[in-house]
Amino acid sequence: MPRNSLGLILNAHMPYVRHPEYPRFLEEDWLFEAIGETYLPLLRMFRKLREEGVPFRVTMSFSPTLCAMLSDPILQGRFTDYLRLHQELGEKEVERCTQEQQPCLPLAKSYLEMINRNLQEYFETYQCNILSGFRDLEATGHLDLITTAATHAYLPLYHEYPSAINAQIELAVQSHINHFKKRPKGFWLPECGYFPGLEEYLQKEELSYFQLAAQALVLSEEPVKRGNYAPVTCPNGVAAFARDYHLTNLVWSNVEGYPTDPHYREFYRDIGYDLPMEYIKPYIHSPEVRVFTGYKYFAITGKGNDKKFYVPELARRKVQEHADNFIYEIRQKGRKLAGLLDREPFYTLAFDAELFGHWWFEGLDWLESVLRKVSQTDDMLFETQLDYLKRYPESQVLQPAISSWGEGGYSTVWAGGSNVWIYRHVHKAIERMEELAIRFGDQGSLKQRFLNQAAREVLLSMASDWPFIIHNGTSSSYAEKRLKEHLGNFNVVYENMCKNAVNTEWLVKAEKRDIVFPDIDYNMFNQKSNRNRYNG
Amino acid sequence: MITPNIDALSLGELQYIARKQGLDDAEVLDREELLEALQELYEEQENSLHGEGISYAPSAQQRFMNTLVEHESDANLGLLPGVQRLPETYCETRIHLLFKDPYWAHAYWSVCPADLQRLEQSSEDFSLFLRVAVHESADRLRPADSVDIQVMTTDISWNINLPERGRTYSVSLHYRDGNGNGGMLCQSDTVRTPKSYWIEHSRTLREDEKTFTLLFSSLVSKGGVMVEDPLLREVIEHLDARMGG
Repeated sequence: MPRNSLGLILNAHMPYVRHPEYPRFLEEDWLFEAIGETYLPLLRMFRKLREEGVPFRVTMSFSPTLCAMLSDPILQGRFTDYLRLHQELGEKEVERCTQEQQPCLPLAKSYLEMINRNLQEYFETYQCNILSGFRDLEATGHLDLITTAATHAYLPLYHEYPSAINAQIELAVQSHINHFKKRPKGFWLPECGYFPGLEEYLQKEELSYFQLAAQALVLSEEPVKRGNYAPVTCPNGVAAFARDYHLTNLVWSNVEGYPTDPHYREFYRDIGYDLPMEYIKPYIHSPEVRVFTGYKYFAITGKGNDKKFYVPELARRKVQEHADNFIYEIRQKGRKLAGLLDREPFYTLAFDAELFGHWWFEGLDWLESVLRKVSQTDDMLFETQLDYLKRYPESQVLQPAISSWGEGGYSTVWAGGSNVWIYRHVHKAIERMEELAIRFGDQGSLKQRFLNQAAREVLLSMASDWPFIIHNGTSSSYAEKRLKEHLGNFNVVYENMCKNAVNTEWLVKAEKRDIVFPDIDYNMFNQKSNRNRYNG
Repeated sequence: MITPNIDALSLGELQYIARKQGLDDAEVLDREELLEALQELYEEQENSLHGEGISYAPSAQQRFMNTLVEHESDANLGLLPGVQRLPETYCETRIHLLFKDPYWAHAYWSVCPADLQRLEQSSEDFSLFLRVAVHESADRLRPADSVDIQVMTTDISWNINLPERGRTYSVSLHYRDGNGNGGMLCQSDTVRTPKSYWIEHSRTLREDEKTFTLLFSSLVSKGGVMVEDPLLREVIEHLDARMGG
């Protein structure tokens, strides 16, 4: 019987947010929420499946900025403070619900239990660095770990700057090797942002495949033979897998996707916003800045503001229904494709990892259920992109079309009315960085550190997160300030180097602040040196 | 969308919201009075929106939240180290063209003060314009066609329409004086608009159900929504036109 191959790729990424200069910093919670609600529970789920002998093969991309933060002792310490604070809040919530809100009591207890487990595993199992857990799952053949651009830059908008694209990819591979002790084979294109020729940069780093937006193959200038049901090979030999919009949308869509079911938990109702200030104050940010606490008791219910209490049992039933439906949809698709393909179809299911657990609370249960159910069938299996390429080494040679998975299919999310202004400045910083790398090539000691810091700041300013956040309009002032901060820091180096000077006091502070990419070599911005590096 | 429990908001939060809404006596009103004043204000605003024929108005809860979010970002950021004011443009005469989608690109440019001064000295009434050129090949020097767009001397960016698929475009900044003399100040790199094979081969697609299924079954959601992409829409429009014909 022909099988349906499911190629799940989860992209774990967080922008680099680290502010040791403040006792607590609101945007650092983004990372803590992702660790507590997605990464630790995901590890738990994968390990449970492995222990029970359930076969699965999944690809996971870890962004270098996320890896840097997960390995950072200051952030590790702050995450444990975060967990302890939420543990204390949980204990208080159990007490409050016992007295005032009985229907929420079981949920309050289960949140507290999850925090207790997170705390225990974070310390005892992972010694505060959860990357070791994913490394271990790769070692046993359950995960294939890949990388993405160093600061998750949206690459099509840097098309004019090969040195910057090279730096994003070279540094990403270097960072992956540092964290996972292995060279990655695959590359997650940030936001599925692709332009023809991007594969050349990937090939230089021995990356053999990447994923694309769903429309990238159909819109090619040549006809694609197998639709999105098999990878294509770019003219230089790097393989490209296009996302299956039909299947991913069952999960991803905020209109028709499973997570919109009224029985599922409502993300936006949280006691951080619902309870009186005097009660919640110790658990939010000072002076009186309301934030999510993770204690959420309402179900989606409907579009209005009146929400029903969340009933876990009802949600659990829905999870099973939705897992069954997903299997049904795959099977239907397989039947529809029978006889149309000369090989078993491959469905690329590419998601942001944080969707599961964090945004869609029941998402990890759904994923676990799908992995289990698929393992019990003989007409479908989860396999990685590499597995499929081994089974079918011959693919159609095709140049994919420029594309992204953003609204509108191209670059307007990252270069729209509200955020396109940033490129004038980031492009200028790249040009100046190239100039510095040529004028002051192969420096040693203090100047080398100074120039390396400049390269760090340029790369951090390229992160796709800043224009995305500005586009979304929430936390946009933070994103704008961060962008200006990195460009400002870069200019400090540029102006000093133009006077052949090094501001040592500034450098020491900047290195402490933006400690990401310790092995960075600013010479990667020298295109001539790149050519030598790659072509011998 | 976050919808806070209004009753849970502290006096400080309510005072902040009231100040932002322009209530002068925010500091002297007590909690109940503040809540009442804000609710009244939102109702008035909502009625006036309805009066103008605008059917959508955010709920009072949502309005409280919008202001609270500002409160949070103001309260939390302070001054991040290194934040500097960026210049509007840089001291260079240069133009860039960014591909946004198959129909639009974004041009941004700067003219260095020395060039501007030279232009001002040569003619009092000089003007600037953009020339959007279509090229047969990547050779920027041989445009097949072009269109000029008048711009102000104070302009620094424009969105540029790219009318044809599968073509290479560049944009250059030019000046012209009162006597009709002029020249090019700078030229961008090229961008190429994508062109799908299926736009010109929609007949094949229409007649070949197998290919149609292979190509489109992964691009449409269960609810019938297609991947959002204007070029893909153009493919479908070509197909519809053929089917209609």
